Amino acid sequence: MASTGQSLTSLKKREATTANNRDGDQLIITPLGAGNEVGRSCVYMSYKGKTVLFDCGIHPAYSGMAALPYFDEIDPSTIDVLLITHFHLDHAASLPYFLEKTTFKGRVFMTHATKAIYKLLLSDYVKVSKVSVEDMLFTEQDINNSMERIEVIDFHQTLEVNGIRFWCYTAGHVLGAAMFMVDIAGVRVLYTGDYSREEDRHLRAAELPQFSPDICIIESTYGVQLHQPRHIREKRFTDAIHSTVSQGGRVLIPAFALGRAQELLLILEEYWSNHRELENVPIYYASPLAKRCMAVYQTYINSMNERIRSQYANSNPFEFKHISPLKSIENFNDVGPSVVMASPGGLQSGLSRQLFDRWCSDKRNACVIPGYVVEGTPAKTIINEPKEVTLTNGLTAPLNMQVHYISFSAHADYAQTSTFLKELMPPNIILVHGEANEMGRLKQKLVSLFADRNTKIITPKNCQSVEMYFTSEKMAKTIGKLAEKVPEVGETVSGLLVKKGFTYQIMAPDDLRVFSQLSTANVTQRITIPYSGAFAVIKHRLKQIYESVESSTDEESGVPTLRVHGQVTVKQESENHISLHWTADPISDMVSDSIVALVLNANREMSKVVVESEPVVSEEEDARKAEKIVHALLVSLFGDVKFGENGKLVISVDGNIAHLDKQSGDVESENEGLKERVRMAFQRIRSAVRPIPLSA
Amino acid sequence: MKTPSPTWSPSTALTSSSTAVGTTTLMPLFWSPSPGPTTPPPFYLRNVYHFKFLLKRALTWVAPTVDAVLLSHSDTLHLGALPYAMKKLGLSAPVFATEPVYRLGLLTMYDHYLSRKQVSEFDLFTLDDIDSAFQNITRLTYSQNYHISGKGEGIVIAPHVAGHLLGGTVWKITKDGEDVIYAVDFNHRKERHLNGTVLESFVRPAVLITDAYNALNNQPSRRQRDQEFLDAIMKTLRADGNVLLPVDTAGRVLELILILEQFWEQHKLAYPIFFLTYVSSSTIDYVKSFLEWMSDSIAKSFEHTRDNAFLLRHVKLLINKSDLESVPDGPKVVLASMGSLEAGFSHDIFVEWVSDTKNLILFSERGQFGTLARMLQADPPPKAVKVTMSKRVPLVGEELAAYEEEQNRIKKEEALKASLIKEEESKASLRTELPVNDQMVLDANNTHSSSNAIGQRSEAFRDVLIDGFLPPSTSVAPMFPFYDCSSEWDDFGEVINPDDYVTKDVNIDQMLMPVDGELAGKLDEGSVSLILDTTPSKVVSTELTVQVKCSLIYMDFEGRSDGRSIKSILAHVAPLKLVLVHGSAEATEHLKQHCLQHVCPHVYAPQIEETIDVTSDLCAYKVQLSEKLMSNVLFKKLGEYEIAWVDAEVGKTQNGMLSLLPLSSPAPPHKTVLVGDIKMADFKQFLASKGVQVEFAGGALRCGEYVTLRKVGDASQKGGSAAIQQIILEGPLTEEYYKIREYLYSQFYAP
Repeated sequence: MASTGQSLTSLKKREATTANNRDGDQLIITPLGAGNEVGRSCVYMSYKGKTVLFDCGIHPAYSGMAALPYFDEIDPSTIDVLLITHFHLDHAASLPYFLEKTTFKGRVFMTHATKAIYKLLLSDYVKVSKVSVEDMLFTEQDINNSMERIEVIDFHQTLEVNGIRFWCYTAGHVLGAAMFMVDIAGVRVLYTGDYSREEDRHLRAAELPQFSPDICIIESTYGVQLHQPRHIREKRFTDAIHSTVSQGGRVLIPAFALGRAQELLLILEEYWSNHRELENVPIYYASPLAKRCMAVYQTYINSMNERIRSQYANSNPFEFKHISPLKSIENFNDVGPSVVMASPGGLQSGLSRQLFDRWCSDKRNACVIPGYVVEGTPAKTIINEPKEVTLTNGLTAPLNMQVHYISFSAHADYAQTSTFLKELMPPNIILVHGEANEMGRLKQKLVSLFADRNTKIITPKNCQSVEMYFTSEKMAKTIGKLAEKVPEVGETVSGLLVKKGFTYQIMAPDDLRVFSQLSTANVTQRITIPYSGAFAVIKHRLKQIYESVESSTDEESGVPTLRVHGQVTVKQESENHISLHWTADPISDMVSDSIVALVLNANREMSKVVVESEPVVSEEEDARKAEKIVHALLVSLFGDVKFGENGKLVISVDGNIAHLDKQSGDVESENEGLKERVRMAFQRIRSAVRPIPLSA
Repeated sequence: MKTPSPTWSPSTALTSSSTAVGTTTLMPLFWSPSPGPTTPPPFYLRNVYHFKFLLKRALTWVAPTVDAVLLSHSDTLHLGALPYAMKKLGLSAPVFATEPVYRLGLLTMYDHYLSRKQVSEFDLFTLDDIDSAFQNITRLTYSQNYHISGKGEGIVIAPHVAGHLLGGTVWKITKDGEDVIYAVDFNHRKERHLNGTVLESFVRPAVLITDAYNALNNQPSRRQRDQEFLDAIMKTLRADGNVLLPVDTAGRVLELILILEQFWEQHKLAYPIFFLTYVSSSTIDYVKSFLEWMSDSIAKSFEHTRDNAFLLRHVKLLINKSDLESVPDGPKVVLASMGSLEAGFSHDIFVEWVSDTKNLILFSERGQFGTLARMLQADPPPKAVKVTMSKRVPLVGEELAAYEEEQNRIKKEEALKASLIKEEESKASLRTELPVNDQMVLDANNTHSSSNAIGQRSEAFRDVLIDGFLPPSTSVAPMFPFYDCSSEWDDFGEVINPDDYVTKDVNIDQMLMPVDGELAGKLDEGSVSLILDTTPSKVVSTELTVQVKCSLIYMDFEGRSDGRSIKSILAHVAPLKLVLVHGSAEATEHLKQHCLQHVCPHVYAPQIEETIDVTSDLCAYKVQLSEKLMSNVLFKKLGEYEIAWVDAEVGKTQNGMLSLLPLSSPAPPHKTVLVGDIKMADFKQFLASKGVQVEFAGGALRCGEYVTLRKVGDASQKGGSAAIQQIILEGPLTEEYYKIREYLYSQFYAP
């Protein structure tokens, strides 16, 4: 059903095909961000004139306009729907900008939890980002305005906007994270966003969609890496912390305020509860933001897994006994061992950086990096354990603290990705949200994995479009009176083709009001014409022109009437008037016009009425005349029309030659397009030249 | 004892929709066991017995054939029969509901069971049955298209917002593009905690099943009603009286709570409000996590301020009546279940408060037929009512010995058991005082009483009589039975000594297993103690007559669309066929006549057990539209539709599908159709904009000097015979005539 290829091959295909509405079948996917990189996720998709944008993030390693996805590549006003998968900055943070500063006027959807956290998170982002006013992408006010425009969608809820149907699945990455499935005219595209197939302490694993999509746009953050089993990771994490604090050291956990942080806090809380000896070591959680988000976590427990929900039944698992919040570094009484979780996760600035600067030279201390770190951030640098680091004040200091990198980030690893794709079996896979090298390795592995199936795996760069063609079979349902009998091959079907969204129905006109909200109408026309002559004269004249003229008398008024052509009734209303009645349709309108003309003529030429014998026109002459007209019309259409053999006409246009059989209407030509056009033209000419059949 | 009325409603929802799904052929056979001629009494004590018989008679043959059960609301009217049907009638079909309907339905059933259990021998089902019935419910979200697999392949079901109750559902069942809509108890009005129904967004479904319950009711405006409601409460409180609101467990009560909360907050009132059911704290806990199912305004306020609307500041949650008793005297508002006053806390409080003129009992929903609530809502209200005070007490002394002896005897004489007990009980039912001593019920093994005996015994509990003049001799000295509440309490609630339960019986473990940890945790402690209480006990009843001196008010807080709105919604939805269930005979007939005239020609109002066949007579087949055909089709856009005329030849594709190809010969002429809906007013404007003088005169549109345009037959009467618009254009032969005709044509599309 689908044909795929990148630009070059697709162009060839377009030439090869003759169908003229091929463009409508073209599906374009363009990453505006997150193409061969991690950050500023934004993927543009267009099919059948419908346009969807997935995610709208910023790049955490850049600031100002440079952090935005390449919005210039598209016309924001054409986008119908914008779908946000989760609240992380690299997936949602350019939304206020996009909504307020561009021409975008479509609709935006995200899940309830995402929307609730989005606002808190972005307000915080605006507050802490220390860029100049000109570089500010948006203000607090823009965020508030954007809240008005964001609509919510629940998991599995199917919505339809402008013919685009979409719904979402649990993605498991953070609270409220969703994978979106979009269905346009039967072609399904799955956008995973960030997802994880592993259930953890509070989140469900990503679901496997019920239907296989035609295209799967999937994240590739971890490429071909494999995660350690969860319990081992947790053990390494707690061991590292335990040994550090028991030696009197301090532990810094730079983590993004929301998402994984909650999971880590749950782990720490549990560990502290089980290890009484640690009771005196304080755990600080330096994020007022996370505190504010707790209400959201407490409310949307239905989006979390059974485990946390059963805990919730007894007490709120997010009310920690051993963990206390820390407002700022000024309030921090830094004596003795402690564990501090602080944001941002990349150590770019803020509290986590301040603590790092303070602690990095002491070898008793440790820094546990608990998740994926974006390229270009200080956290990425220290993972490689350099000898020295540059502090915020510009000085260099030795890096003596231990650095542990234990990934808890809820992104799928290779095992999860490959099983997910194997079960889903999408014929087309587009990799996004991954660093170029990782993505390349993942592509290689997937190619060999799906070698026996004709699966296309594509890794577009930012702004590089993937074009695919889906010749969707258009199916129609014939319903109502028209469908009382299923027709045999060769029979004809005539009726109204009604299209709504991407569904087609064929029905008889009478059924239109039954199966749709449309209604039909009859227009009855009644026109009065002054005429003072004898009614018989008109009758006579009409008989000369029309084959069918029935005369009778009107039942009510007793005036004589004529019924012309079975459609138009002529009535003698009074001495001075006659009236015409008919139900509007093109033929009746024409007949009535001719009657009107005739009556007006009769008025004028009242005295000249003479009965003449009808001149007999031979059919032969008719045919000759018709032939002349046909030829003349064809010449006017195609230019070069010659008489050929066997009474055929030879038509040549731009070197292409078509032979037209005037009797049967058959056309022979090398060129399909010309053949079709000549055939069509000839059919129309013939129906114009020939008399109108009476039985309409 | 009344003869079993032929009305039965708990599984209205259950069966009518389920059979729809059941048959895999195109929408089939509807078995609609609901509303006959009287208002259906729901699932109240006495009716439970009727219900049982009816169930036996009616449901037994159908239960095993049901293929799916769709639950639409969380109240007993809509899902009360589920545990029974699952357990006794072999109903094993998959059950579908929204998350709130599942959760709150479960809590409602718990509360219901525990309320009944306190005052009667209730053995239709146990808590285990409730748990196991609810365990396998598939939970869906609004507008989730669920594709049924297996037998019903090709059927898609989707819940949609119904209003009325939290999570309330209008079910849309789709097969081959044809929709069957099941919409009972919907509310189009937006409320404090709920959005209005989306029923109006469905157009032209093949079948619409709805209720006629409110067809004859009209409501005052919400603002006015709320004001009166609060005024009545405040008046009583200021006069030092108490207010009792008999409510349901987890449905409409939420709206009342929000109204009160808001008012109390606004006016900084200090009068205490209590919400008393066996499951009140779990109810509110769960409701707090259902924000996404509530109204937009609630969601919005949470997004902006993270204020959960159900973080109650003024309403205190109680799960035990003794808590209420420990509250210092003074005016207060109590919301207590059940709304019928037949059992539950509301019943007890009613008896205590009814004879004080200062007090107010405010009904927020119409009492179901034959309940105490209904009697009190009569106009004028009865001066006195006879009520039965029943209380479960542990067996002591001789009774306990007798019970144990009885148990032993039962074990030994298995064979003789049935007949013996029957005898005993028939004797017992003749006695008027205490029931017999074998009434130990919470033992799961002890389900030996035959339904027959129960029916007879229930006569002893037939509790309410209207008796305004002569108090019977038995109630000369009305007195409340008094029992010492021996349980200790600490900060966490009642102190439970685990040993008490461990030694008793292995049953306890089994009982708690299906509760699934999570549920067990969620149950309030009071109810846990009730579940765990397996000491032999009996129900002691005393009858007494109480003078009704307090004020009684009924206000419509049912959250259902009223008659007028129902009619307009039905006219808008315009189903091809309409099935009316659940409503009094009068209301059903009224709505039926109305719909026959204005909505559609096929209206059915089946009696109970009557099977109606609403199989679609629609013919349909699928064809493929070939690329060649489509390339020559020019669509014309009309609203959200695009239409075109096609003449095509039928061919076959490689895989045997029919396909439409372009005709090889010129198309035969066809009758002209004018498609479009012309509104005279719009057309007038249009003409005016074109510079034609127009005015309405005598029902016709006068265009220019001479031409008139009239419309006969109304297009809004869909389904009626005059559905095609008839437009008459009259005038003398002038240029104007042709000009106006041209304009008129431009309003239509003639393919």
